[in-house]
Amino acid sequence: MITALLSGFKTDMVRLADVPEPERSVIAELDCPVYADTSPVTPVAAAERHVAIVSSAGFILRGERPMLANETGYRAIPSSADDGDVLCSHVSTNFDRSGFQQDLNVMLPRDRLRELEQQGEIGKAADTHYAFMGATSPGKMEDRAREAGRSMLALGVNTVVLAPV
Amino acid sequence: MSGLAHYFEDTGLATVIVALVREHVVSMRPPRALWVPFELGRPFGQPAQVGLQQRVLRAALALLQRPAAGPLIEDFITQESFPVNHGWRFPGELESGTVRTEAAAVMLVWQRACVRLGRTTVGISGLAPEIAVEFVARYLSPDPLPNPKGMAPVARVRFAIDDIKAFYLEAALAQGGHPSSQQLADWFWNETLAGNMIREFQDKALASDDVNLNRIAGSLVPAERTLGYLREN
Repeated sequence: MITALLSGFKTDMVRLADVPEPERSVIAELDCPVYADTSPVTPVAAAERHVAIVSSAGFILRGERPMLANETGYRAIPSSADDGDVLCSHVSTNFDRSGFQQDLNVMLPRDRLRELEQQGEIGKAADTHYAFMGATSPGKMEDRAREAGRSMLALGVNTVVLAPV
Repeated sequence: MSGLAHYFEDTGLATVIVALVREHVVSMRPPRALWVPFELGRPFGQPAQVGLQQRVLRAALALLQRPAAGPLIEDFITQESFPVNHGWRFPGELESGTVRTEAAAVMLVWQRACVRLGRTTVGISGLAPEIAVEFVARYLSPDPLPNPKGMAPVARVRFAIDDIKAFYLEAALAQGGHPSSQQLADWFWNETLAGNMIREFQDKALASDDVNLNRIAGSLVPAERTLGYLREN
């Protein structure tokens, strides 16, 4: 069993440092462009938050064309979609999918978000979440990311939780 | 994803990223990041651990209330431990004749698993599991299975391979039992004919003259489980 570095945290979960070579180096050395610090948006009060989740898992709806490696676009995942219709087309061997196979919320915590809405901790869980394809160069995704951002704003979303896999 | 955070903020959305690779957020400096000590592929922790998943989400959203002069990175600290069943075994009998007979045996277990899990994640290739096995088994043979319309053959075989993995791993979860991802991967790659078939397929794809096949070959088998790696180590 691999023990994570945090004291008392004993599990088979692994951090990047515990991923076996040569995969660890592949992940650590992924091309990471340098960004100037962005002036962050001033967040709204918690009760006014309208929150969408954006995943890098390449989620598609069953029957749709899977996303391909280095694809720069995105897919919209309605929060009303059945769990069984949300498929993961990011098929890298670098990350575990058995957690997702047991519980979609491990990657796309839309049930947890709805619970926060029901408990009044946020204003609204978005009706639509989004998926991009992980390991794609961020610079190549800029136009489509901005397009997705404008779509979210048009739907009233003001807050995004990004969930890379 | 850190890059997307910059673009979204620039568009007018407040963002927070739940990061599995701390090195990437340190390098790319998104405005707000919560680093979580979980396995790659599990940004919100463990399946069916509602409390843990909620705590991660709350901790991420709490960063929105924190004033910060520059990029904010916080570590998610948890003292929780989760059961790992070191005695876990595949909940069925595997036929050891051919990959087709093995897949037929797995099918019976997978059908139970689908009931228990309430869904399946098999389906990105558009092929039924047993057809996906047949498609991969014959892809490089003189008698390949016809490729249905709608997807290039090399993409079909790529996604069929992932559907086979999902088919087997879901079957392995038919009785729960808290296997770790490592146990599941060890079982699939070390004990099944399907794992061996995919490994051999990759070896042939790497040596193929087909550039499209070469292109997908590197991402079929975890690097430390490929035939090439095993030969050299």
